[in-house]
Amino acid sequence: MKNFTYAAPRNVADAVRLAGQPDARFIAGGTDLLNLMKDGAQSHGAIIDINGLALGDIVQRNGVIRIGALARMSDVAAHPAVRRSLPVVSEALLNSASPQIRNMAAVGGNVLQRTRCGYFRDSGTTCNKKAPGSGCPALEGENRGHAVLGGSDHCIAVHPSDLAVALLAVDAVVLTDRRRIPFADFHVVPGTTPDQETVLGHGELITGFEIPVTPLAARSRYLKLRDRATFEFAVVAVAAALNMRGNTVRDVRLTFGGVATKPWRSPEAEDALRGKPLTTTTITEAGRALVRGAVTRDHNAFKVDLVQRALDGLLRDLGGVR
Amino acid sequence: MTVGQPVERVDGRAKVTGDARYAADRTLPGMLYSYLVMGTIARGRVTSVDTAAARAVPGVVEVFTHENAPRLTSDQHFMPLQGTQIHYNGQIVAITVATTPEQAQEAAELVRVTYAPETPKAVIADALTEVYLPANQEVIVGDPTAGLAAAEVTVTQNYSSPPHHHNPIEPHATVAQWDGDHLTVHETSQGVVNAQRTFASAFAIPQTNVRVLAPYLGGGFGGKSPVWPHSLLNAAIARQLGRPAKMVLTRAQMYSIVSHRAEFRQQVTLGAKRDGTLTALVHLSTQQLSRTSENMYSHSISSRMLYACPNIHTRQQGVRLDVPTSRFMRSPQMASHFGLETALDELSYQLGIDPVELRRRNYTDVNPTTGERFSSRFLLDCYKLGADAFGWSRRNPKPGSTRDGHEFVGWGMATEAHDHNANPSSAMVRMAADGTVLSQTATQDIGTGTYTVFTQVVADALGVPLNQVKVELGDTNFPPAALSAGSGTIASVTGAVNAAALAVRTAVVQLAVSNPASPLHGLPAEQIITQHGYLFSPDRSRRESYRAVMARHGAPVQNTSSMTNARGYSTGAVFVEVRVDPRYGRVRVTRGVGAYDAGRVMNHKTAGSQVIGGFTWGIGNALMEHTVLDRRTARVVNPNLSTYLLAVNADVPDIQAIFVNKPDPVSTALGARGFGETPITGVPAAIGNAIFHATGRRIRDLPFTQDKLL
Ligand SMILES: Cc1cc2nc3c(=O)[nH]c(=O)nc-3n(C[C@H](O)[C@H](O)[C@H](O)COP(=O)(O)OP(=O)(O)OC[C@H]3O[C@@H](n4cnc5c(N)ncnc54)[C@H](O)[C@@H]3O)c2cc1C
Ligand code: SF4
Repeated sequence: MKNFTYAAPRNVADAVRLAGQPDARFIAGGTDLLNLMKDGAQSHGAIIDINGLALGDIVQRNGVIRIGALARMSDVAAHPAVRRSLPVVSEALLNSASPQIRNMAAVGGNVLQRTRCGYFRDSGTTCNKKAPGSGCPALEGENRGHAVLGGSDHCIAVHPSDLAVALLAVDAVVLTDRRRIPFADFHVVPGTTPDQETVLGHGELITGFEIPVTPLAARSRYLKLRDRATFEFAVVAVAAALNMRGNTVRDVRLTFGGVATKPWRSPEAEDALRGKPLTTTTITEAGRALVRGAVTRDHNAFKVDLVQRALDGLLRDLGGVR
Repeated sequence: MTVGQPVERVDGRAKVTGDARYAADRTLPGMLYSYLVMGTIARGRVTSVDTAAARAVPGVVEVFTHENAPRLTSDQHFMPLQGTQIHYNGQIVAITVATTPEQAQEAAELVRVTYAPETPKAVIADALTEVYLPANQEVIVGDPTAGLAAAEVTVTQNYSSPPHHHNPIEPHATVAQWDGDHLTVHETSQGVVNAQRTFASAFAIPQTNVRVLAPYLGGGFGGKSPVWPHSLLNAAIARQLGRPAKMVLTRAQMYSIVSHRAEFRQQVTLGAKRDGTLTALVHLSTQQLSRTSENMYSHSISSRMLYACPNIHTRQQGVRLDVPTSRFMRSPQMASHFGLETALDELSYQLGIDPVELRRRNYTDVNPTTGERFSSRFLLDCYKLGADAFGWSRRNPKPGSTRDGHEFVGWGMATEAHDHNANPSSAMVRMAADGTVLSQTATQDIGTGTYTVFTQVVADALGVPLNQVKVELGDTNFPPAALSAGSGTIASVTGAVNAAALAVRTAVVQLAVSNPASPLHGLPAEQIITQHGYLFSPDRSRRESYRAVMARHGAPVQNTSSMTNARGYSTGAVFVEVRVDPRYGRVRVTRGVGAYDAGRVMNHKTAGSQVIGGFTWGIGNALMEHTVLDRRTARVVNPNLSTYLLAVNADVPDIQAIFVNKPDPVSTALGARGFGETPITGVPAAIGNAIFHATGRRIRDLPFTQDKLL
């Protein structure tokens, strides 16, 4: 780890100006950035500490919940408005990391955390995300944890955030110092440029998230499957939001973690349910639609099965289907 | 009497307040920091090392490569930096030395190494045709072929387990300081005396010129038993540069240069009569070896020592791969034990005999390999105590018979067993003129409670309160004592500590009864009672405090004693309940009971903690833990605790530990046997057996991750 400069601006304008330096980076909780720097996966000359900015509030106004970028994961998870109107967000957060990390980490940093692909975090290994063009050892190597959706021949790393999967399910909007970005447009698939993970520009600051309060979001839930009971990333995760009229699905959001290179929404799976009754048949059809384009590698084929099982289990619980 | 009581750890306060100083906490004036550069190929040669950029980093004092590193040899381990050959991924290829750790690390990142790589073999499956039988690795008792022919039922199955890394929470660290040809090393060592010997021979100096200190350790699990080459290199660097040098390994570095548990395959064949009596036990194992070492150990001891079987065949094969050398890791016998205890469960279903009953029917008091009687063995008591506490008799043996909501409930069990070391040890006990007591011995407390137990032993032997006794460990200036490995610390050293304390007691009693100024004057020494810091007459009508006797004497009373103990074998039985959600293949362990015969229990709290720790690790071993190697590069892909998974609190249910608590008559350790490694050995098999009971699915490949249960 090389030496870096440190600045702690007090307002957004200063922060953004300082972050314009060529190898500058914001730091919020530091729970990911510092690991990346210590592991040699990233290196920065200037660290801009944004914890002095007034971006920590969580407020509900005019049918919208606004969560500041610096709100801590634990505070968002416990907030009454979030728990009432956006249960999937609270559940996704409570299923993330550990209490210690949730107390440190901010939601803005969370959606920008980087993949846990072991090759990416090993400074002794090539990786297209770390050094574009150097190759992707995961394609033919160890890929049990890797994506079956949204991958390319350049990268199949999973986006690890649980919160992002939940935010995608509740139609969140990302607010930055210069624009509003629908959450669905925020993360990008790797394609030929796996080093690009979002549409955020260099030095662009996330100031918060806006989420509409809707009946759909109010009936939402998160299911996370993983290799140990807690303190572990998803092997497979599903966020579902369901609005029913009688036995018919009026509207639905289905988003997925652990299986895709970015927080993954499946319009095809949603279409298999929307306007139809929630039954074993339609649920199965939704699962099939989700994985239709899946590409598996040596060790991750089980995710295709497991994600359909997770979707099935979650929809049955949420919709009361036996 | 404090021995046996659940006495709180005497070092607990120092540890939680930061008072306890570990090797990495040592900072010496003028000290330099060494940092390792690790290779990135597993097989081949280094063709060049460019150190120019590293040398340009401010504060860098030297960069060592194979071209200029100090010349060292080791009779135990492959010594890196002595040539260009690469034998495993993550081999040390350079060392940077600087005035701060940050400078040394930055320089290390700038060292450019080029290689002539060759294709490595990473896993046993890559080299099945190269499996061989190293010398002295086969044991045949009776006639196994005839035993199998006489069997009415046989089971043959294959089991496999991945490599594991020790991962003590305290990283390996070494601080070396030379004074002429005298060397002092603060070393994360499970055996300071062994370490002293290794340093002395590496530098060709007398053993007495070397002092090794390890007063505290944050775990070791076998990984800190030997002195590894990096510590010798760091000491050589300190000597060459004429300044103290410190090296602290990163977590990732600990995945290639401080050993691991080997990848294993087991084939177990059991032959039995319809009544469950074993007629043959054939255990074929294959262990990963390295290019530079054929290190093996008696990992299939369970098959040779646990059950009454007249015909036993164990064959420990090896296969050399391009990976680091494996060594002991907590409970070296557990990988083979997993195969044996799972096979017995499979046999129990074939026979329709309850798994506990099957083991009872094959119980033996006699070592089936040697024919010798065990000095004591209360394994039948363990089966009964464990089964009763667990409620085993209520078990419906039919797989898949119990359902609770979405989950299937399963109960499984296994025998637990591990042998323990006993090494000759010595200890000093001294009562000062103020009546306080100091005991010193060059063994270690690796986190298991040695400080606490020895404090109890000394306090009881003398009859003084615990707070009057101070125990010091982990320093070669103290009387030499055992390595803290192979479950051997308490078993090896307790006898010497007790003997020294008793000798001091005898001397002080003598001082009292022989002095007219003492109220005890003239009483027969052997009738004096010592308790609570006092010496009493037999009818307790007269007394004098140790303090008063010592004040009058005006000088310390001291004794150093030595003792040997016999090796032993501690057994037990573990019972677990699992819940399996078949929708997701998700397994939870929801209940655990273990009953153990560890001889006399010295401290129910520290012994109970060994059970909790072992059980916890066993859950991890069963459900998640494994080192992942990239098969093409033989490089560890998960060298950190966020991807190398160990069980966390939420994975661990309440665990009940029960002890038979009967002294082993031959043990010089007040009847105690070594125990540390026993209470993990059966847990993976018990969990697998419970999963089978829950679901009817038998998984023979560890760990039992959810993808294997879909
Ligand atoms: C052991 C472990 C387990 C974990 N398990 C989980 C898990 O199960 N689920 C899960 O979702 N996460 C998990 N995490 C990840 C954790 O949630 C993230 O590290 C954390 O959310 C990042 O937030 P932070 O504030 O610490 O970000 P930082 O580390 O400070 O920053 C992360 C990145 O975001 C950038 N950034 C931060 N804030 C802003 C902003 N406002 N505008 C623009 N850029 C910004 C930084 O420049 C940096 O690049 C785990 C982490 C660890 C270490
Ligand atoms: S999957 Fe992506 S992050 Fe992982 S090695 Fe390949 S390119 Fe790098």
